[in-house]
Amino acid sequence: MNWSMNEILQLSLMFLVPVISSLPIAIAWIYRPGEEWARKLPYLSVFGLFISLLISLNILFNVEDGFYSYPWIPSLNINFVFVVDYLSRYMGVLTALIAFLIGVYGLEYMKDDYRLGWYWFFFNTFTASMLLVVYSDNLLTLLIGWEGLGLASWGLIGHWFRDDDEITFVGEKGRKVGPLELSWSPSFGGWRAISTIRFGDMPMFFAIATIFALVGTLDIHSIPWHELFERIGFFGSVFLLFLFLMGPFTKSAQLPFSEWLMTAMTGPTTVSALLHSATMVAAGTYLFMRLSWYIQPWNAETPALAVVYSVVLFLGLISAFYGAIVALGLRERKVLLAASTMSSLGLMFASSAASFWIGQIAIIVAFWYLMVHAFAKASLFLVAGHLIHATHDRFCSGDRVFSRKMKAAFAVTIVATLFLSGIPPFTAYWVKSAMDGVMEHLAEEGVILPFYLLVLVSVIYSAFLAKFLSLNFMRGEKPKHEHVENANLMKLAYSIMVSMLFILLYAVSHEHHFVEEGHLVTSFAVGVLVTVSYLIALYKPSVKAFSRVGVFLTDRMYLPFLNDFIIPKIGWFIAAVVDYANRGIDYFFHQAIPSFFDWISRLIRAVQKGYLPSYLRIVAAWIMIFIVAIAIAGWYGWP
Amino acid sequence: MILVYLLTLPFIASLLAPFLNPKKATHLLSLSFLIPFVGALASLAMLSTQEINLVSFSPPVGDFYILIDPISNAFGLTVCIVSAMVAYYSLPYMQHRFEEMGLGSDEYRKYIIIFGFYAASMLWLVYSGNLVLLYIFLEISLITSFLLIYLYGYGNRRWVGILYFIWTNVAGVLMLIGFIVVALDNSSLAIRDISAISMVAWLLIFVGMVIKLPGLGPHIWLPWAHAEAPTPVSALLSPLTVGLAGYILLRAYLIDPSFIIAYRNPILVYAIISSIYAGFAVFRQTDYKRLLAYSTVSQMGYILIGLCLGTFGLIGVVIQYMSHAFGKSILFMTAGGLIASYHGLRDIRKMGGLHEYVPSLSNAALLGFMNLGGILAIGMFGEFFILRGVVDVFSLANVGLILAIVFIFILSGWYSFYTLKKIFYGTPKAMERPKISRYLDVPLYLIGILSIIFIFPPLITMLLNGLKAVIGGGV
Repeated sequence: MNWSMNEILQLSLMFLVPVISSLPIAIAWIYRPGEEWARKLPYLSVFGLFISLLISLNILFNVEDGFYSYPWIPSLNINFVFVVDYLSRYMGVLTALIAFLIGVYGLEYMKDDYRLGWYWFFFNTFTASMLLVVYSDNLLTLLIGWEGLGLASWGLIGHWFRDDDEITFVGEKGRKVGPLELSWSPSFGGWRAISTIRFGDMPMFFAIATIFALVGTLDIHSIPWHELFERIGFFGSVFLLFLFLMGPFTKSAQLPFSEWLMTAMTGPTTVSALLHSATMVAAGTYLFMRLSWYIQPWNAETPALAVVYSVVLFLGLISAFYGAIVALGLRERKVLLAASTMSSLGLMFASSAASFWIGQIAIIVAFWYLMVHAFAKASLFLVAGHLIHATHDRFCSGDRVFSRKMKAAFAVTIVATLFLSGIPPFTAYWVKSAMDGVMEHLAEEGVILPFYLLVLVSVIYSAFLAKFLSLNFMRGEKPKHEHVENANLMKLAYSIMVSMLFILLYAVSHEHHFVEEGHLVTSFAVGVLVTVSYLIALYKPSVKAFSRVGVFLTDRMYLPFLNDFIIPKIGWFIAAVVDYANRGIDYFFHQAIPSFFDWISRLIRAVQKGYLPSYLRIVAAWIMIFIVAIAIAGWYGWP
Repeated sequence: MILVYLLTLPFIASLLAPFLNPKKATHLLSLSFLIPFVGALASLAMLSTQEINLVSFSPPVGDFYILIDPISNAFGLTVCIVSAMVAYYSLPYMQHRFEEMGLGSDEYRKYIIIFGFYAASMLWLVYSGNLVLLYIFLEISLITSFLLIYLYGYGNRRWVGILYFIWTNVAGVLMLIGFIVVALDNSSLAIRDISAISMVAWLLIFVGMVIKLPGLGPHIWLPWAHAEAPTPVSALLSPLTVGLAGYILLRAYLIDPSFIIAYRNPILVYAIISSIYAGFAVFRQTDYKRLLAYSTVSQMGYILIGLCLGTFGLIGVVIQYMSHAFGKSILFMTAGGLIASYHGLRDIRKMGGLHEYVPSLSNAALLGFMNLGGILAIGMFGEFFILRGVVDVFSLANVGLILAIVFIFILSGWYSFYTLKKIFYGTPKAMERPKISRYLDVPLYLIGILSIIFIFPPLITMLLNGLKAVIGGGV
C-alpha cells in the first residue's frame, strides 16, 4: 500500500476541481438566472474539466502502477483507495478528455439555455464521479462515484424539466399503442433513469456490504475472492455475484433494464454523448472488467463463476442483438444511437465474460472496444446534436444538398461509422477481429453460439451505422427546416473527438495481438461481410416492404410496457390496497373506538335521568332479576 | 464537562427570548442551539464518555446524571443543528401563520418559549442518564409539541392536537410502567446501575415506543399530527421527536438486549412490513405533508430493522436517525416554504413544475430526498451498516429477508424521485414567482451541506470511531 501524498493530492484535485469550478455558475443561477455575466461562467467550469484532463494525462505518463490510499474510516478498515493500472490509466484519460471536449462543445450548444447553473453543476459533478469510479479500488469509494453517476444522470436527463419543447421528447407525441402513449418527456425520462438505476444499485450495495462483512476489506485488489467463494458455497457465490452485477446491468442498460437508456435521450445531446454513450453507461462494463481483472476467473474452476460468467456472456450477446435490431428499425437520431450503445455495451460484457475461458486478453479486447466505441459514439452523438440544431428535427432527415452545408458533420460521420463498424482496415476492425478470435476460442471450448451471434450483431451494427449516415446526409428526406449556423466550437469539438480514432488506430497497430487477429482469414471474412452490409445499407437505408417490422422495432418490441405498464400497475395495486388498509385503521382508531366510548358513556348517562319513576323501575327490575335468579337456583337445587 | 453548561443554554435562551423582538429572539435561540452543537461535535471528536452527577435520590429512583457518550453526542448534535435551523426558519413562517390566523406578532413571544422548551427538552432527553429524567423530558416535549399543534396548527387542529396527545401519552405511559418495573427489579433507574430489564418491562417499553416510533398500526396518528402541525413543529416532530423512540430502544438494548434477541424474527418481519407498507402508502398521498409523514413511518421502519441486526445494525440505527432528521427536516421546511409562498398550497395535484418558480426550494428538496434515499449523503452509511448487519446476523441464507430489506431501500429511492418529479418538474402551472425570504431557504442548505460533508473525513471518521467504541463488541 502506498501512502504517497503527492498522488493522493493529484487525484483529489482531479475529483474536486470540476465540482468546485462549477459552483460559481450554480450559485449565480439561483440568484441571478440568465444574466449576461453569468453566461460567461461556463468557461470556468470547462477550465475545471481541463485541469482534470491535465492531471489524468500526468497519471497516464508519470505515475507508477500501484494503489494509493488515504484514511477514511480506519477503525473499520475502510479507506479511500485508488488504483493506477492498465485499465484506470487509459479509462481516466478517456473520461477526462471526452468530458472536456464535450464541455467545449457544450459552451456553444447550451449557450442560450434557461438552466445553465443546473447543467454545468451536474455535468461537472458527473465527470468527477466518473473519474472517482475509474480510479477507485475501494468499493465504498467507488460507490460514492457510482451514486454520483446515477444522480447526475437523473439531473441531466431531466434538465429540460418544463417538458414544453417537443424537440426534447422521445417517441412520436400522441402515438398510442394499447393503453400507452409511446412518447416520453424529459422529466419522465429522468424518473425512469433513476428508478431503474436504484433498482440495480441497492442489490449491489448489499453485495458490497456482504463482502465487507465476510472478508473485512473493501479493496478490490485485496479481497480474497476465491476464498470468499469457497466459503459461501455455490449458491452463495452465485447469489452474491448476481446481486453485485445488478448494478452494472442496470447502469449499462442490459436487458431487461434497457428502456431507461432510450428515454435518457430526452436530455441535452451533450449529455447523451458523455453519459449515455461514452462513459456512464460504460461504467457498468468497466466495473465488470475491473472485478474480473482481480477475480481472475480463468485461474479457478469455480462452478459458481462458470454459471455467472456464462449468464453474463449470453445476456451481453442477447442485449447486443436486441439493441442492434432495434437500432435498425429506429428513425430517431439519438434513440438510434442509444440502442446501438446498448448493443456495444452488450458486446463489451460478452467479451469480458469470455475471460473466464480465455483469460485476461478477453478483458483487454473488451476494454479496447470500449475506448473505440466511446470516441466514435461520442462523435456521432455530437454530430446528431448539431443536426438537431440545424434541422429542428429529432428524426433522421437530410439529403445531398443538406450535407454540402454540413461538410464537417458529414465527414465526421463517415469517419466515425467506418471506424466503428469493423470495416477493414479501420480501428474497430482490429479490435473486433480480436473479439471474433475470443468467441472462436469459445467455440473450441464447445460454446459455439456466441461466435455466430457476434458476427450477426456486427453485420447488423454496420448496417444501421450506414443507415444513420445515409438517412442524415445522403438519401434522407429534405429537412423541413434548415438553420445551418456557424457552429465553430461544436465542429472543432467533434472533429478532435473523431480524430482520436486515428490515434487509437495507431495504438492498435502496435498491439501484436490485434494485428495478428486482424490477419486471420475468419476475421477478414467477417470484415468483408460487415463491409457488404455497410454498403447495402448505405445504398438502401430504408425498405418500404419492412415498414411493419420497422414499427415493431421502433416500439422496441414493446419493452416499454414492462416499465410503463406492468410494473406500475402492480405498484399502484399494492398502493391502493395499502390505502384502503390505512382508511380502515384510521376509521378503527379515530372513529370506531371513540364512538364506542361515546356509546358506553351515553349508556351510562342514560341511566341517570334524575326522574324518580325511572329509578324505581330500575330497582324493580333488579328485584325481579334477583327473584328469578333465586328461583332458578332453587330449581336446580342450589346450594 | 463544559458541554453540561452548554446544554443549559437553550433553556435560558427560551426564557429570555420573549423579552426581545422576534428577530433578536430567533437569533438568540438559534445561537443557543448552535453552541451546544459545536460542543457535541467536539465531544464526539474527543470520543469522550462522561457521567456528570446532578442529584441523587433514594432507590428505586437512583442518581440523576448527564450521560455523555458518542451515541448521545450523535443524537445531540442532530437535535441541535436541526433545532437551530428550524428556529431560523420559524421567524418568517410563524409570522406568516399569525397573520393568517389573525393574531398579532406578539404571539411570537408565546410561540418561541414553547418552541424553545420543546427543542431543548429533546436535547436533554438524549443526555439523560436516568430513566425518570428521560421520561420527564419526553413528557415536556410531548406537552410543548401538543400545545404548538393545538394553538397554531392547521385544519381541525384541536382535534388533531388531542389525538396526538392521547397517542403519544399512551406510548409514554406504557414506557413509564415499563420503567417502574425496571426500577423495582434493579432498585435504580440510573442507566449505569440497571443490569437487567425483565421481559415484561421490555414488552411495555417496546410497545410504547413502537406506538411513538411508529410501527404499522399505531402509525395512523402520525399523518394527522405531521400534516396539521405548523410546519416548524412538523420539522421537529418528524425528524427528531419520533426517532427518539429509537434512541430509547437503543439505550434499552445496550443495557439488556434479551427481548430483542428473543423475538428478533417477529420484530424484524413486523418492521419490514411496516416499512414497505408505508413506502407504498407514500405514492397515494395528495397532501405533501401527509406524504412526508408516511415516508417517516417507512424510515422509522429502518430503525426498528437496524435494532434487530446486532452491532452494525445499531450503528445503522444511529446514522439512520441522523440522516432521517437531516433529510426530513429539509423536506418539511420545503413543504412549509410552499405553504408560505402559495397561501397554504399543500395539494400535490395542484403542484407540478414548481422548480420554475421556487428553484431554491426545489433544489433543497433534492438534498432532502437524497438523504432519504441514501444517495451521496449520510443516509448511505445508515443503509450500509443495516445491510452489513443483515449479513452478520443471517448470513446469506435468508434470501427472502435480504431481498425484502433491499427492496425497502429501492422503494425509498423510488418514492423520493417520484415525488420530486410530481411536485417540482414537468410543465409549470400558471403561478407567480414568489419572493422567498432567505430564512426560508438558507437553513435548508446548511443542513443539506452538513449531511453531505458528513460522509467524508473527518466527520464520518470520528462518528464511526465513537460509535464503534460504545457499541462495539460482538453481535
